[in-house]
Amino acid sequence: MLAVLSTIAAEGGAHAEEVINPVIPENPEMIWGGIAFFLLLILMNWVLLPPIKQAMRKRSEQIRGDEEAAERALVDSEQVRRDYDATLAEARAEASRIVDEARQSAEAQRAEIVRAAEDEVATLRQAALAELDAERSAALGSLRTDVAAIAVAAASKVVQQPLDVSANQAVVDQFVSSADSKA
Amino acid sequence: MFAAEGGGGVKFPGIKEMVEWPAFLFKDNELLAFNKVALISFIAMAIPVVWFLVAGSKAKKSLVPAGPQNLAETSIEFIEKQVIGQAIGPDGMRYLPLLLSMFLFILFGNLFGIIPTSHFGANARMANPVVLALLTWLVFIGVGVKHNGPRYFKDALFPPGVPKALYLLVTPIEFISTFLVRPFSLSVRLFANSLAGHILLITFSVLSATLFAKSLLVAVMPFSFFMLVAFTGFELLVAFLQAYIFSLLTAVYIGGALHPAH
Amino acid sequence: MSTLSHIANTVAQQAGEALTADEQKSIAGASGAGMAYGLGAIGPGIGIGYLVGQAVQAMARQPESAGQVQTTMFLGIAFTEALALIGFVVFILLKFV
Repeated sequence: MLAVLSTIAAEGGAHAEEVINPVIPENPEMIWGGIAFFLLLILMNWVLLPPIKQAMRKRSEQIRGDEEAAERALVDSEQVRRDYDATLAEARAEASRIVDEARQSAEAQRAEIVRAAEDEVATLRQAALAELDAERSAALGSLRTDVAAIAVAAASKVVQQPLDVSANQAVVDQFVSSADSKA
Repeated sequence: MFAAEGGGGVKFPGIKEMVEWPAFLFKDNELLAFNKVALISFIAMAIPVVWFLVAGSKAKKSLVPAGPQNLAETSIEFIEKQVIGQAIGPDGMRYLPLLLSMFLFILFGNLFGIIPTSHFGANARMANPVVLALLTWLVFIGVGVKHNGPRYFKDALFPPGVPKALYLLVTPIEFISTFLVRPFSLSVRLFANSLAGHILLITFSVLSATLFAKSLLVAVMPFSFFMLVAFTGFELLVAFLQAYIFSLLTAVYIGGALHPAH
Repeated sequence: MSTLSHIANTVAQQAGEALTADEQKSIAGASGAGMAYGLGAIGPGIGIGYLVGQAVQAMARQPESAGQVQTTMFLGIAFTEALALIGFVVFILLKFV
């Protein structure tokens, strides 16, 4: 290719001194351009690129390390959260168990107290009833006696002679009991 | 030449005025004459060097990138992902310095085509594209021979799976397209794009300047000035795109030499 | 292009002045250069248009593979564009050399 081009250049040069051929590269420009480019290439290869590439590599490594640390921290925090949740659930269950127990014991205590009170009430009532009965029967007995005595007294007034109370006691008693049963 | 006679006073410069620069150092030396193109090449080399030195010294201090380091890392990642990742694969990371140097050298060389006071891209002369294309040619052949041995030439010239009789047709085509046309098209693509942009900018600059000087036609001047501004923006895009395409094609050729199966 | 230079020749001859060899060469070169670049731009123009259109279609259909399509598209543009640029180089060679 270059050979062909240089023959063209030679022809062009032979034709006229003034006219130049812009397609033909000129030696000095090629030499200086080549020197400049190879200087750039050498510097780029051994001086310019390594520190930047190293910084880029270091940064990407650090970013990867940070990402992994963050990943690990995330996993850890997840673990902690699970633990916390488990503990919380346990504590809740414990609390509700304690509350239940307390409620049950309170219930039992209440029932106990109520029963004791009822018992006491019943006993008291029994005693009162018994006393009442005793009073009543006592009152009834004395009433009977009194009624008999009054009746006998009244009868003796009626018949103008004393009547024996004890003899007529049976009659009075019979009357009173029949009145009782009627009442 | 002709426009000068027919264009009603619009004087377009000849090709010599457009692309040739007198040497200002080593004027008499046949091989080392130092002219504007060589100076631009050196500046295009110096900018990435200084930039990456600053970025590297900052990279040692802190892990958080800022300023030039950010830009440097962006360009490195661009080459790694968009060029090597797409064209070679993960085993091509060794060619990062070469591809990055090519990309930056071409990019800054091209950018001088639109930077005022310079207004000439280093790649609008054939010299730099030819050097880079020859380097690419050497590198991809070297990579092929290093990784596949002499089998590389056999696979490249006699692709497996082709009927024997077709080799008469295929081998010359493969030889021309792989070993002759590749460096030629690489260098011509870069050179012609830069030179075309340069000529476009010159055309509209000359039109703007001439119309400004003439009396009535000054009404049309804003249009050509607008085109000048628009093409400057377009050349910015082309500068980047050509640098990208050159390094991408280099990567594709290297990738083809690394894995000749496909 | 030969037509153009022929016309130029006739016009010049009718004006009564013979053209020198250099002038004839530059006339032929200029008209040939324009023709060369104009013709050389047709094919790549159609090609790049078709290529980019298809690439856009592919990216619209499969946005997830847009990156790879884009790279391949740039490669295709680079290969196609080379033809137009060779036309441009031929233009330079014809016009200026």
